[in-house]
Amino acid sequence: MSAMLEVKDLVTAYGKIEALKGVSLEVREGSITCLLGPNGAGKTTLMMTIAGILKPRSGSIRFSGREISRQPPHAIVGAGVALVPENRLVFPGMSVLENLRAGAYARRDDGIEADIERLFERFPRLRERAGQDAGTLSGGEQQMLAVARALMSRPKLLLMDEPSLGLAPLVVDEIFRIIADLHRDGTTIFLVEQNAHMALRVAHHFYLIEQGRVTFSGDPGSLAEDEVIRRAYLGSSRR
Amino acid sequence: MDAYALGLLTNVGLLGFLALSAYVMLLAGEMSFGQQAFFGVGAYAGGMLTAMAGWPLPLAAVAAMAAGALAALAVALPTLRLRGLYFAMATLAAAEMARIGFELLQWQVDRDGEPVGPDGTQGFRGIRWVFESGLAPEAWTALVWSLLAAVLALAALAERSRLGATLRAVGEDPGLAAVLGLDVDRFKLGVIAAAGALAALGGVLFAHHNTYIEPRNFDIMLGVHSLAYALIGGLGTAFGPLIGVVLDVGLLEGTRVFHGYRMVAFGGLVALLLVLRPRGLLDETAVRWIGRRFS
Amino acid sequence: MLADLLQNTLDGLAAGASYALVALGFTLIFGVLRRANLSFGAAIMLGCYAAAAVSQQRPGLGLVALAAITVLVSVLAGAYVERLCFAPHRRGSAVAAMVASFALWMHLEEIAVLLLPRHVVGFPPLYEGEPIVLAGLAIRVESLVALGTAGAICALLAGLLYRTRFGISVRAVIASPLAAEIAGIRTGRIFFLVFALASAIGGLAGFLVAATDAQITPMMGMWFTLKGLIAMMLGGLGSLPGAVMGALALGLIEAHSQWFLGPQLRDFLVYLLLFLLLAAAPKWMRTHSAS
Repeated sequence: MSAMLEVKDLVTAYGKIEALKGVSLEVREGSITCLLGPNGAGKTTLMMTIAGILKPRSGSIRFSGREISRQPPHAIVGAGVALVPENRLVFPGMSVLENLRAGAYARRDDGIEADIERLFERFPRLRERAGQDAGTLSGGEQQMLAVARALMSRPKLLLMDEPSLGLAPLVVDEIFRIIADLHRDGTTIFLVEQNAHMALRVAHHFYLIEQGRVTFSGDPGSLAEDEVIRRAYLGSSRR
Repeated sequence: MDAYALGLLTNVGLLGFLALSAYVMLLAGEMSFGQQAFFGVGAYAGGMLTAMAGWPLPLAAVAAMAAGALAALAVALPTLRLRGLYFAMATLAAAEMARIGFELLQWQVDRDGEPVGPDGTQGFRGIRWVFESGLAPEAWTALVWSLLAAVLALAALAERSRLGATLRAVGEDPGLAAVLGLDVDRFKLGVIAAAGALAALGGVLFAHHNTYIEPRNFDIMLGVHSLAYALIGGLGTAFGPLIGVVLDVGLLEGTRVFHGYRMVAFGGLVALLLVLRPRGLLDETAVRWIGRRFS
Repeated sequence: MLADLLQNTLDGLAAGASYALVALGFTLIFGVLRRANLSFGAAIMLGCYAAAAVSQQRPGLGLVALAAITVLVSVLAGAYVERLCFAPHRRGSAVAAMVASFALWMHLEEIAVLLLPRHVVGFPPLYEGEPIVLAGLAIRVESLVALGTAGAICALLAGLLYRTRFGISVRAVIASPLAAEIAGIRTGRIFFLVFALASAIGGLAGFLVAATDAQITPMMGMWFTLKGLIAMMLGGLGSLPGAVMGALALGLIEAHSQWFLGPQLRDFLVYLLLFLLLAAAPKWMRTHSAS
């Protein structure tokens, strides 16, 4: 598998504070790659930087060989990278259907309605609620909507930031089933998670990030699971 | 110094009080479109006390400041929960109500056979205390500027003290300030009252400088101008708003370079300046830089 | 008595129709940018002055052409403002953007007055005949035009926002600019286009007012800005239907209170109402946060 996404020495800062202190990792094509780490380690900052919402101070991000690190977000979506953000961020006041249509903004082709139909098949709950205000959906339904909206842009790489956040265990199971399905259907997935246990069950490869730096890279099983979980929640004891 | 330059200098000083008033509000985290109302309250209150009740100016000035503070509290208390544009619009509404109030205010008393007092839209003539006191124009200008300098000195001191830090903390993150034990509401009210008193001081001096005031002097234009002066001069220091005033009144009006185009020039300049420096010329980074150079 | 009440109601609604267009413009801009564009009234004024200037050069020019000029110049002025005052501060300070827009208010207003430096400038009238008299009421044709135009614009705007792809992207940006960016919507372009649209609607309002009054004055900039801001706030900041309701309410309140109280108290009442509403801050006013 070749590397679909290559991040090298990425530094992203908020004013004086460096949230990412030189992150390097790669996401292989056709894989589910997972990024674990405690709160504040820089996971969301990394996702937002890859998606183009935040601009890095230095370093590079290459997607399918092309440098995307200073491109605007819409260009990155157009290139085939879509982000399912932390906290879902659906459009309140707009229906489920309108949310999906908004996700297809950049597309000029005829396949939009067909894609919506396919997504409704994958997420039947969304079809039931097609006309409902997205702001009134449950957490799990909003998560599905956020995923479906991201899929409307036909991404080759799907970035997911904490998809299980705030969801009940049964719903979390469903979300991870969807992640596995998407992967089976050909989408590469880069997943940020706090729920290390679930993440390790689907990931092919994972990274640990702590205080803005990658501290571990390996396959599930290369580090004892309880060690991974400890570092994912608490960080290394070594500073 | 010729009369025109002196008048200009005094105007800069007077507007300085108003700009400082808007600046203090900005530091506290609020954008006010209404400081001109307190300027007007100070002008009318001070003018009425000296011209109609025969009070000496120093006493009238203190009373005017108190009136300004009270008026500010009257506006702030009902609107304490408002933020951003909501608060700004509330101050605009209050200021316009004050201005219309000045238009409706007709109260004249007999002084030496002449009616003296505010006459609604016709304005308020005869605020002659300074002239009658025999103070030379230069001395008067010096007095205005001494008062302004005193206020600036106080502000500079406050800036270095915990008060200044608390003010900026309230402006930037009131939630945090509250968590750290500050009664944010009471503090804010105090700041707003102080800003009102400051504007009122400028107002009473303005009334006595011009000897004639009318409601039209205290319109929205004045208020939003003072907000602009405060911002473009820079939010890093109390000298910032003064720079804003000097830029407009001093430079553009005084040099007559942009005669007839003053607002085109000033307006364009302000917008451009803000693109480059969104927190004004003397913003916090500039002030720190200057501080390092001179320490 | 009843006849007066009805007449004032009618006149109030007609005035409210023009206010509604201005308020819609303000609200569109506020909706996407969460900032108030204080130069909006001045841009409209510049449009009116440009049309008046052209009309002085070419007296035979028809009303439609004049309306087009007003709209076009308003849009150009609006685009200028967006680029200079709002685009640079998108991720920065809201105060800086609003103060910059105030600076351009002064800037544009003076340009307009320099164009035609007289205190009152004539403008070709919308209609030169007598009002239609129906059941004892004097119905001005200009009022009908204003109401009709406002209604048409509301319908067109609703169609645009709810039935087109562009409309969905605008509503998405209004709902959440961050989510819109993430979804691949070109928010920068949306801001610019909405600004242009808002300025066009405002320009149309400007033309209607100028042609109804058959004159323009240097006070117009302030007048449009105040009416638009007040109507927007009365209707609940950020709500488009609210803006229309607020504007009609403003027109009605003004017409009736002027009848009973005169012009000064009329204005005082409006400001008092606004202040009290803001102080009470009922839920329906807080449709969107205002930075």
